[in-house]
Amino acid sequence: MAFQNRNKFCYFKENGINEIDYKDVKLLRRFVNDQGKIMPRRVTGTSAKMHRKLVRAIKRSRSIALMPYVEKGIE
Amino acid sequence: MSFYETLYIVDPNLENNSLEKTMNEIGTELEKTKSKIINHRVWGKKRLAYPIERQKYGSYILMQFESGDQEKMVDYDTWMRLNNSVLRHMTVLLDEKPELYVEEKKPEIENSKDESEKEESSNSKDTESVEIESEKEKSNDEDSSLDNEKTSDSKEAE
Repeated sequence: MAFQNRNKFCYFKENGINEIDYKDVKLLRRFVNDQGKIMPRRVTGTSAKMHRKLVRAIKRSRSIALMPYVEKGIE
Repeated sequence: MSFYETLYIVDPNLENNSLEKTMNEIGTELEKTKSKIINHRVWGKKRLAYPIERQKYGSYILMQFESGDQEKMVDYDTWMRLNNSVLRHMTVLLDEKPELYVEEKKPEIENSKDESEKEESSNSKDTESVEIESEKEKSNDEDSSLDNEKTSDSKEAE
């Protein structure tokens, strides 16, 4: 088949996570590219509900300098 | 009755005495709003993701409390903003009542990612440390809740 579905799944649903803590930088790093941008839902496969919570958590941790607003990516 | 949490960054070059002093000052300032402090602890010295006031590092301090007078919280917020020893602060509403933090024998300081991973792998065998991990990492929700139940059962048995 030329068009095969990749196995996309919501990381949070799979692991039974309901709340995302903004202090958990190690987890949040997964959903950000090397420039520090939040990756789109179509790439990560996160469910809409959890993506909203994820975005809030990432933005919070940015404002308290746990995560960068911008980072120089690999050129 | 709602619970909040303030995370603030203090100059990392402060000595332990002056760090305690500033922590006490902030604690007393918060108590003016009739709030009850539940936890007030040093989270650790961390590298900042971007420099704040020309500082590359900062010591993070976490304070969890039950809110008192909501109107006075504005004064507390402006006081924190004007306080020169605090580089940055953020107050966030919590969903649940925070658990009382009990100090470990080995305080976890995450300086490098490699070390923290090793620590976690070694800690995961102990039931005690799993409880504390669950505060930081809620990814192991199911496992830790099981462990918590076990420990609570054992406490009741005693």
